[in-house]
Amino acid sequence: MIKRRFWLSCLTIIMLASLLSACSGGKGNSKAVSPSTGDASQEEKLDKVTFTYFNAVAGKDINTNETKIGKIFEDQTGVNFKIEHLVGDENTKVGTFIASNSYPDVLVPGGSIDKLLSSGSFIPLNDLIEEYGPNIKRVYEPYYNLMKAEDGNIYFLPMSAVVGEYISAPNIEQGAFWIQRRVLKEAGYPNIKTFDDYLNLIREYMKKHPGEDLTGYIALTTQDQFFALTNPPMHLAGYPNDGGVIIDMETHAASDYGNDEITKRYLQELNKLNAEGLFDKSSFVDNRDQYLAKIASGKVLGFFDYRWQVGQAMNNLREVTQQTGNDDLEYMALPIVFDENTKDQYLDPPSFVNNRGVGISVSAKDPVRIIKYFNNLLTDENQILSNWGLEGETYSVDENGRFYRTEEQIKQTNTESFRESFGFKYFEYNWPRYGNGSTLPDGNSVGAGRQPEVAQMSYTEADKKLLEAYDIQSFSQLFAAPDERPWYPAWSIQIEQGSPAQIFTQKKSDLQRKYFPRLVLASPAEFDKIWDEYVKEFNKLGVKDYEQLITDEVAKKIDLIQGK
Amino acid sequence: MSVPFLIWLIIFKYLPLWGWTIAFQDYKPAKGMFDQAWAGLKHFKFLFQDEHFVRVMRNTLAMSFINLVLGFVTAITLAILLNELRKVAFKRVVQTISYLPHFISWVVASSIISTALSADGGIINDVLMWLGLIKEPILWLGEGKYFWGILGVSEVWKNVGWNTIIYLAAMTSIDPSQYEAAEIDGAGRFQRIWNITLPGIKSVVIILLIMNIGNLLETGFEPQYLLGNGMNVDYSENLDIFVLKYGIQMGNFSLSIAAGMFKTVVSFILLFTANNIAKRLGEDRLF
Repeated sequence: MIKRRFWLSCLTIIMLASLLSACSGGKGNSKAVSPSTGDASQEEKLDKVTFTYFNAVAGKDINTNETKIGKIFEDQTGVNFKIEHLVGDENTKVGTFIASNSYPDVLVPGGSIDKLLSSGSFIPLNDLIEEYGPNIKRVYEPYYNLMKAEDGNIYFLPMSAVVGEYISAPNIEQGAFWIQRRVLKEAGYPNIKTFDDYLNLIREYMKKHPGEDLTGYIALTTQDQFFALTNPPMHLAGYPNDGGVIIDMETHAASDYGNDEITKRYLQELNKLNAEGLFDKSSFVDNRDQYLAKIASGKVLGFFDYRWQVGQAMNNLREVTQQTGNDDLEYMALPIVFDENTKDQYLDPPSFVNNRGVGISVSAKDPVRIIKYFNNLLTDENQILSNWGLEGETYSVDENGRFYRTEEQIKQTNTESFRESFGFKYFEYNWPRYGNGSTLPDGNSVGAGRQPEVAQMSYTEADKKLLEAYDIQSFSQLFAAPDERPWYPAWSIQIEQGSPAQIFTQKKSDLQRKYFPRLVLASPAEFDKIWDEYVKEFNKLGVKDYEQLITDEVAKKIDLIQGK
Repeated sequence: MSVPFLIWLIIFKYLPLWGWTIAFQDYKPAKGMFDQAWAGLKHFKFLFQDEHFVRVMRNTLAMSFINLVLGFVTAITLAILLNELRKVAFKRVVQTISYLPHFISWVVASSIISTALSADGGIINDVLMWLGLIKEPILWLGEGKYFWGILGVSEVWKNVGWNTIIYLAAMTSIDPSQYEAAEIDGAGRFQRIWNITLPGIKSVVIILLIMNIGNLLETGFEPQYLLGNGMNVDYSENLDIFVLKYGIQMGNFSLSIAAGMFKTVVSFILLFTANNIAKRLGEDRLF
């Protein structure tokens, strides 16, 4: 009996010991892996090393060296990244990183970046860039003022540093009022500019086609996408997407338009539309999947949204068009404003989004190797590789040195599986990069999608007919060129966690989520009464302090950009 | 024998109570416990002074109460019905079907519910229109006043089968000779249910009731969050969603802890009250 007990306690001790060593193993190993690379001039081939990389969007986990592009980068640098994507809620995931104080080597957070910054999760990059990152310096130095935190350190590299001449996108990638092409076709391709014209066009089509179970106008209002309902007044008044505020072009004063006349006017139009039975009431209860399903069904005539939100549904419609050649059910983006003489500003001005980016965490085993990898990404050649791919395989060059893609190459580079295996999906974005709209020294666009030749080539016959009808070469030509707005976008201004300003935005959103449906669905006679009630509630929330804060921050950003 | 469990209990259940101090601080995750700025009762004040708080508490309590009553009534009824079934195969089929929804996550379940309630082609509206009870499809999730009902029914659909299991187990412990004796004395089926089955499971019912009353503030938050929208927010937002919005999403952990403390204290009081009442009435009780 005694003997047995002795053995049992031995076993217990062994198990405890192995448990403890298993727990502490992570740190011990990580130290063993890190090779000493203090000397930058050292040219010898470095050991292969794998770092972990967390991207706060959903996706397929993969090793970068399993992709064609990633393999080339590994050959150049000896570095491989194990990419982990987000499962579930970002804030929860990031919260566990912070609570355990153990992070992947590289982090690409979304909205949770403030939490990571305030918890000191990133290492400062200034010295590393100075020592090992000549290319990083070349690309990002013009934006240093905007990238520095209050302590003067750079903690992450944003992905929107424009290099070379800026070119805007040939297709609409952002917000617009969309209308089904058959509506335009039937009306003889009229030039539509004002909100009234736009809605009347829908009204007429609905009148002519009763009994077809059509929906005139639809909106997306779910939890995280409520801005798709609240943003239009800003666009209709001739401003680009600055979020919940409009910034005056002269005084640079911020105004929250939630209680402004433009919001009232917009909601009143929707209210009328609803009274006529043209507004889809379910907009306020549907979830995002139901909304996308409705658009993909081709029964919806018009709606406002951002292209990246409805891309999935539009791609589905495009597939139908490519089979049948009939683009009736597809949508066209229109720059709709309230008044004839307002200049539309739907296209984004060149902008620097400084509250998103890629950073190296405090747990990183070997920041030097990582920064060298980043530096290596930022050569012209490697930017071509991650955006265009390999010459002859995924793009071609004509006799003038212009890059283009043949029809086959376009088709291939658009398929999801190819983009994954080749690595476009992982390298076009989410790494230190030349921002959207950048150009190479020879004038070619860095992003393939912005090269006019590629856009032209990807148009279907139906697209071309439509463009011809409007006498334009690309869809964005219908839109006015963006004015310069050095603060743009105001939505990227960082608001302190839990501050009165943040509580204001939450309360405002709560209030609007409650009142906007009521305003739209009320009988037109009651509209004014509910609106007054809403404005009264709205003014209680302390909008003045919030506007003042944004005005100050905008001024600060303008000063920073102008190097003051 | 119980010493290891006592140690476990102290380490995992009592030591974490130290974390409650966070509620009195302006907590920042990266800093140590002693480097935090003290905030006194600031977060409690924010919680209780917010005008939403009353509404949120009302919703929490109302939905809990509905769930409690509906949960007990339907589960006990179904358990009794199942107990009366003689055909074992049929009983198994009914049981399996009724407890299957329990294993669906709320994310999927709420999608099923909102599709069923949809105004364009949702089965509920279609059936009601076909029966001629309504002329126009109703926007079920768009009317605040329907929300508690929808939630109650959804909870019953999802959990009724699962909840019967414990009552069925309690019923198996009733001595069959009692039923035989009652039958010989001429008791009908309903008399047997009333005089033997129900008293037989009474102690289980009371203990479950006491425990559930302790959990009144824990309505869960998934169904309310997933089915809630701007139009029914006055009825769907409960304490947990409020805390999620103003605490966790804003990185204000102190507020979340303050709300958690409030909930614990209230639950504690409710639990003791219920237990005490049971004691006074001379019934079985939890402790």
